[in-house]
Amino acid sequence: MRRHQHRISGTSTPRVTGAGPSHPNPSDLTRRRLFGGAGAAVLAAALAGCTGGGQLAEKSASPGGGSGALQWWDQFRPLTKMLQDDLFAPFMKAHPGVTVERRQMDAPDLGQALQVGRRSNQMPDVHSLAGLGDVAAAALVSEGWFQPIGKLADFAGSPVGEFLYDGMHRFDGEIYSFPPFSGRWHEAVPWFNSAMLKQAGVDPEDEPATWDRLREIARKVTGGTDGDVYGMVLPSKETEYLRTLVERLAMTAGAPGPGNIDWSTGAYVYDTQPYIDAIEFLVALQKDKVVHPASPSMGPRDARARWAAGQAGIYLWGAWFIGGLLVDEPEAVERGVGTWHIPCPETSRNFVYSSPATGTFWVSKSSDQAKTAAEVMLQMTTKEFQTSLAEAMDQPPALAAEVIDQAQVHDAYRTCVTNFQEDVRIGPVAEVGNPGVWQVRAEMRDIHPNLGDIVQSVLTGSATDVGGQLRRFNDQLSAERERAIKVVREEKGVEVDAKAWVFANWERGKDYGQQAYAER
Amino acid sequence: MTTTSSRAPAAATSAPPSRRRGRGWARRLRQDWWIYLFLLPTIVGYGAYTIYPLLASWWYAFLDWPGFATAGTFIGFENFERLIGDDLFWNAFWNSLVFLVIAVPLRVGLALLLALVLNAKRTPFKGFFRTLFFLPVVTTGAIVGVVFTLLLDASGPVSLSLVWSGLIDSPANFAADAGTSLYAGIAVWVWKWLGITLIYWLAALQTIPQGVHEAAMIDGAGAWAEFRHVTMPLLVPFLVIITLIDTVAAFNVFDLMQTLTGGGPSFSSEVIEIFIFRTAFQANVPQLGYASAAAVLFGVLTVLLALAQAVGMRWARGRMGGS
Repeated sequence: MRRHQHRISGTSTPRVTGAGPSHPNPSDLTRRRLFGGAGAAVLAAALAGCTGGGQLAEKSASPGGGSGALQWWDQFRPLTKMLQDDLFAPFMKAHPGVTVERRQMDAPDLGQALQVGRRSNQMPDVHSLAGLGDVAAAALVSEGWFQPIGKLADFAGSPVGEFLYDGMHRFDGEIYSFPPFSGRWHEAVPWFNSAMLKQAGVDPEDEPATWDRLREIARKVTGGTDGDVYGMVLPSKETEYLRTLVERLAMTAGAPGPGNIDWSTGAYVYDTQPYIDAIEFLVALQKDKVVHPASPSMGPRDARARWAAGQAGIYLWGAWFIGGLLVDEPEAVERGVGTWHIPCPETSRNFVYSSPATGTFWVSKSSDQAKTAAEVMLQMTTKEFQTSLAEAMDQPPALAAEVIDQAQVHDAYRTCVTNFQEDVRIGPVAEVGNPGVWQVRAEMRDIHPNLGDIVQSVLTGSATDVGGQLRRFNDQLSAERERAIKVVREEKGVEVDAKAWVFANWERGKDYGQQAYAER
Repeated sequence: MTTTSSRAPAAATSAPPSRRRGRGWARRLRQDWWIYLFLLPTIVGYGAYTIYPLLASWWYAFLDWPGFATAGTFIGFENFERLIGDDLFWNAFWNSLVFLVIAVPLRVGLALLLALVLNAKRTPFKGFFRTLFFLPVVTTGAIVGVVFTLLLDASGPVSLSLVWSGLIDSPANFAADAGTSLYAGIAVWVWKWLGITLIYWLAALQTIPQGVHEAAMIDGAGAWAEFRHVTMPLLVPFLVIITLIDTVAAFNVFDLMQTLTGGGPSFSSEVIEIFIFRTAFQANVPQLGYASAAAVLFGVLTVLLALAQAVGMRWARGRMGGS
């Protein structure tokens, strides 16, 4: 010990005994002091290497003027390979020095990451808005989340230029985003296991046009197959799935849409007969014992896995169902999968209404590679990329009607997208008609139990009075909107009232396009 | 007292005490600076990850802060006023209390029983069983939640076994039924953490000298009498500590409950952590201030309940002593 100490200090002078450990000789480097000094040096080095945002200060510069790789966050798992092969790789090849790093997260994780990233100034250059709830893009624009991209790349003149709406993609005359996907879609597509249907003696070509016919097929599948197989799977663990499902079914029963608004009066319609009918239809399926009994414990992805495992014959979900299957359960696609139109209560068909497609990708205000980001995003508007997007079989691309025939997709996906053209119409969006609406929406607080909560409680047997619950929710939501309108008018001076939700020139069965807003 | 004063050194009385203390601190800092340097990471870490979030959540509780905004607006006690009238907050508060009141005694009691069995000389394969009971402890809570979702659903082995044995008529979704979801969560939580409480109890049992047991045996005490009059009184100090540790743990059930039930159905198993998470991250417009206020109010109410319990116990002990 002592010998070691002397060797380090470089002196043979013994330590003064009287000084003790608390009075060391400054020239005498003991082991303790050596470790102390080394610790201080490491700490100083670590602190010097960090910036305020917690990032390492050293960041490689790129030729594009920005620094480091272009960071890209989204939630599109089935698009992982396609985005890399058909967007990022060709762009990086054409632009040496540009690197795009994509991070895919589930929607809830992405929402949290964005909120935290925003507050700690560690936002990616480009990101989607999944997981941020029902916050209007206008609210985020107003809070300075994004920077405009319209002058960095020609989105207005691109093939999707006609789908750009004020209040959704364009704010104060500046383009902030664009819709790579189509607005013509819904989340209640009946996907079926064709092999199982045939085993049960059901001809998949004999499409069920009505809810009753769908019930009949579900009963046949439950009774006519071997083992523990059920006609349908209805994931009820996540109320968001139930909300969208009932909204879509209610539209097939005649409810207006999107947004659960009666466009002639601007009032909410949750307590109307189509919603009650839609919920009672789901209850009837359950009473028939054709719904997989473990459904209440399942989220939508769990349900897809159970469907793929051959435990259920029919599952109502979005167009991305088959793209997800190809990534996670490709054998289920090989076994046989098909799709029908969304059934209606009667043989006379009603339309499903959707809003125009929102902007999916946005460039962060803090990005120093906005031009590069905009150029990458512009590539998504080309017909070639839109075809590739269709081939990934996720949400239908913005140019679905043009590219679906030439795209190499599964027949079921082609049928699904073609059905959307027939079944779905674009409805009004209040924010587009009056920019003050987003401020009201941002002010509105959640009401619970909401539609999804009510459906869940009915399906799990903890509530029976469907009409009463829907009426209470409708009244509370209406009162909350009134309160929010009052607050934004009085405290923020925003010109908005309940008439902002009235679109008297809306016609059932017709798209509500750019011209209709102008003529309103 | 007088003796102490008269013995105070003269040098020490020549300067005011505060200045003396200040000089002492400065001198110690100068002399032992490296000690404080090594403490610095802990102080910084504790400050940044414990003290700062604690204080920040109190401040946030007074803000109207939508999640997408970079900062909130001061609104005083408005969040607390809203919480008082929020039925779902009280529902979550009640669920957390039910969880606590059922789960903690169950975990502490079951673990004690198991520890007594596994501490007995005659029990075979003690090491094997200890390992077996400890395994769930090292399994991630979220994974346990997902696995038990499958085990407890209507097509899972638990439900099918109960139907097969005639205990229930039709398959039941224990984690997805409003009447049973919270209790399913409690059962899984107790199962998962039983092993660690078992280890605490085994350690506590090792502190009791063998001679005490032998003396009780010589005096003719049976197993129950020995446990009641010898073992248990010696374990009481450990009982207090173990209960406290398990109580704190019962407030940290987010990962398990979120993956097992998600707080549903119909908020039947929504504990306060899920309420806070839902308000902060899953609302249509995330409400960070409101979520912080919920956390603060829950903390305050829990402390008040604990104080009331302590006062009640003190009063009860006083009455028992008096009689």
